[in-house]
Amino acid sequence: MDFAKLRSSSFGTDVDNQRKPRSISTVSFMDEPSHTDELHPPVKLENTYQMSPTKRFPVSTVRHILKDVLQNYLQEERYEPELCRQMTKTISEVIKARVKDLMVPRYKIICLIHIGQLNNQGLRIGSRCLWDPNNDTFATQDFQNGSLYAVATVYGVYYE
Amino acid sequence: MDDFQTGEETAFVVDEVSNIIKESVEGAIGGNAYQHNKVNQWTSNVVEQCLNQLTKLNKPFKYIVTCVIMQKNGAGLHTASSCFWDNTTDGSCTVRWENKTMYCIVSVFGLAI
Repeated sequence: MDFAKLRSSSFGTDVDNQRKPRSISTVSFMDEPSHTDELHPPVKLENTYQMSPTKRFPVSTVRHILKDVLQNYLQEERYEPELCRQMTKTISEVIKARVKDLMVPRYKIICLIHIGQLNNQGLRIGSRCLWDPNNDTFATQDFQNGSLYAVATVYGVYYE
Repeated sequence: MDDFQTGEETAFVVDEVSNIIKESVEGAIGGNAYQHNKVNQWTSNVVEQCLNQLTKLNKPFKYIVTCVIMQKNGAGLHTASSCFWDNTTDGSCTVRWENKTMYCIVSVFGLAI
């Protein structure tokens, strides 16, 4: 996927005069490439009259893929900022490609990966989704070695 | 599903969503310091509030909201995401928030129905 722009802005918040400005929020978001809109107006598909997907999202297969990829790429690595920065991007692309190869029709795929350093800190990752629980699902796998940990999650969302 | 108007109403509006996220995070964990026994509840609160506000937008979208809260300890964290979707209608927004003791990263993915 090519992202046309990566924009980030930061500012300090000073909510009220009594409270010292202690929180800073940074917003970074990817700008969806709007130039494609002129070339391809949103496609209107005909009704398929399908009530549910023909092939379901294979959770255990995807979990296997995640475990495989994480182990292959991270088993021998130590935590290093530059390496891990590249590694997260690479791993997420690899996972997405492998899940796409499964060719599950009409499913959109979101692949999320976190790699962090083990430093006796606390970390909590939570997620909640508003979707159709009958058709949509996710698979997640974590990995740890001497100096780093990694958490990979793949969400499969059915396109009705 | 072709009784919806295509156009601006069914596109993912990043600014709107990022505002919602910022407000939810401020509301849920605004002035607090990192506490291990409360983190569970905080992530749930942040995500719940985000999702509630997003549903109020009444758009034909499925949402995935992810929240990461990490204690400030000098440790590094890298996050990447890769998505296979329809570029014209779907989008995502990530907001990074911090205070003196912790980081909070919230990602919202919106997928058009």
